[in-house]
Amino acid sequence: MSSKETILAAIRKNTLKQYDKPDMSVDAIQFADKEAQFAESLKASGGTAVYMQAGDDLNRMIGEHFPEAKRIASNLPEVRCATFNPDDITDPRELDNTDLAIIRGEFAVAENGAVWIPKSVKYKGLYFISSNLMILVKKGEIVNNMHEAYRKLEGKDYDFGVFISGPSKTADIEQALVFGAHGPIGVVVAFVP
Amino acid sequence: MSTKHSIAAAHFIADREHEKWHDESLWMVRVKRDKMSRMFPEWERLRQMANDIKMYSNSHLDTLLQEFEKNATANGAIVHWAKDTEEFNQTVYAILKDHGAKNMIKSKSMLAEECHMNSFLISKGMDIVESDLGERILQLMHLAPSHIVLPAIHIKREQVGEMMEKEMGTEKGNSDPTYLTHEVRKNMREKFLHADASMTGVNFAVASTGEIVVCTNEGNADMGTSFPHLHIAVMGMEKIVPDLESLGVFTRLLARSGTGQPITSYTSHYRKPQNGGEFHIVIVDNGRSQILANQEHLRTLNCIRCGECMNTCPVYRRSGGYSYTYFIPGPIGINLGMLRDPIKYSDNVSACSLCLSCSNVCPVKIDLGEQIYRWRQQLDSFHVASAQKKVMSGGMKYLMERPRLFNMALKFAPLANKMPRFMVYNGLNEWGEGRELPAFAGKSFNEMWKNNEIK
Repeated sequence: MSSKETILAAIRKNTLKQYDKPDMSVDAIQFADKEAQFAESLKASGGTAVYMQAGDDLNRMIGEHFPEAKRIASNLPEVRCATFNPDDITDPRELDNTDLAIIRGEFAVAENGAVWIPKSVKYKGLYFISSNLMILVKKGEIVNNMHEAYRKLEGKDYDFGVFISGPSKTADIEQALVFGAHGPIGVVVAFVP
Repeated sequence: MSTKHSIAAAHFIADREHEKWHDESLWMVRVKRDKMSRMFPEWERLRQMANDIKMYSNSHLDTLLQEFEKNATANGAIVHWAKDTEEFNQTVYAILKDHGAKNMIKSKSMLAEECHMNSFLISKGMDIVESDLGERILQLMHLAPSHIVLPAIHIKREQVGEMMEKEMGTEKGNSDPTYLTHEVRKNMREKFLHADASMTGVNFAVASTGEIVVCTNEGNADMGTSFPHLHIAVMGMEKIVPDLESLGVFTRLLARSGTGQPITSYTSHYRKPQNGGEFHIVIVDNGRSQILANQEHLRTLNCIRCGECMNTCPVYRRSGGYSYTYFIPGPIGINLGMLRDPIKYSDNVSACSLCLSCSNVCPVKIDLGEQIYRWRQQLDSFHVASAQKKVMSGGMKYLMERPRLFNMALKFAPLANKMPRFMVYNGLNEWGEGRELPAFAGKSFNEMWKNNEIK
């Protein structure tokens, strides 16, 4: 008997009572102003939310937030300040020493400051190795809570996807909060019209 | 009569200042959790749902695990099954050997700890690098974690600074957490970029989609899986959740309960192998299927390893993770240890005041404290009950069943106030070690009641 069969047999033998799948309805929190709630949640987790107006210059805004960024990665056509397209490289290790990556997020979650990012670049390493991250989300693409978030993912196809809420962080040395444990030190989420 | 826990705890509390820091730091995490839980009205509903989903999924493991395997395989992952520690370690080793991998970067996995995987692989000549900052610090100090979510909570910054001076040549005497963290960041970059293989644990495995979900704050799991061609994800079989809808309940509870954050910085969903590489998932039993048949302790399989029962436990906070003999400390560890080997790990069941705070905060509603109480009732049948306590409770029983004798004993109790110290504080009164007996009142409550002195 294979290990799989052995394990499944043990499970069947030892499962004494089967419990029903519970009622999944939940009256989950809604926010009158999702944008304001998102900005507050993201701030608490160490990031910054920016709401762009029609006519605002995206590239100027990027420069204002990250004046010191030299090596800038993006595969988005509207980002003209990018110094390279991360989809052109052939080894993800070349992504090391990226100062800023500008990427696309699909929607934001108000209750926790997270943005859903299904992989839309060649190497997902870009999301984690860059010193700073700017996530562009289409204005209005925002849900109240994680229940709504997963409802949106139902039936979607992705190789890899991640909810990112603020910068990489740790408190492993005496509970002192430090940003940039391994991943980005700074995260800006910009809602673009 | 002293248990191994109380002996080790005495060592921990010898450093009063550190004990106080440990206690207060963990309580702060608990307070943050309380704040999070009060931010919306459906908190208790979520806890109930989480419990109910786990009761459903853990009683349908045969179908859910097969559904998961089918979908994961369709996604391009390779699924393995391991009955026990031995088979788990051999499976991982075989995958690594097959790829000619010599070094592996690893994010946190309690399962790998459970199976002593690192020492096994190191004995086979592999280099294993822990990537979670706390775990890496402990690995370089040759120490084990003392908490499942805050592994280095017992280590002082000066100790970290000293170790890093030796290991990474950091500035002498500099123990600033930001400085040290960023030095580790630099040091780890090379290891992330040049690892042959990566390993992650699994927080949730979604049956309906075949994906696994990994939650971290540091992004270490994501960095680890971004560069090597091989990713091995390892999971105890109770990590299964039926679908994305259920996952939403758990991702709302996990970080709020564990660290008092609304969500971890990264909640990563791995579906397919990356960049032409290989994605292996190892499903492990190692005693879990036996727990299914144990109605009294079945709900330990609900555990999502958030660590909240440690943060809230007055005994854990004041005695530290090393005082427990099982590798998972605190209330959940007491129970899991007893399920693993009730004779070997029975010392831990005394590390509980039965305050039930753990049961009240557990996000998946495990009856942790009640289970510990039940283990205590069984100690005698395992032949590990304390002989001294048995004599004492035998004596108490004798007194309680004889009211006249009981009242007489009370009458003479105040005599103990005037007894010479050596007669009261001696080897027979272990309770009096490090404690002062309260003075016995001149009159018993019973006596006062009868004399109408109490209204």
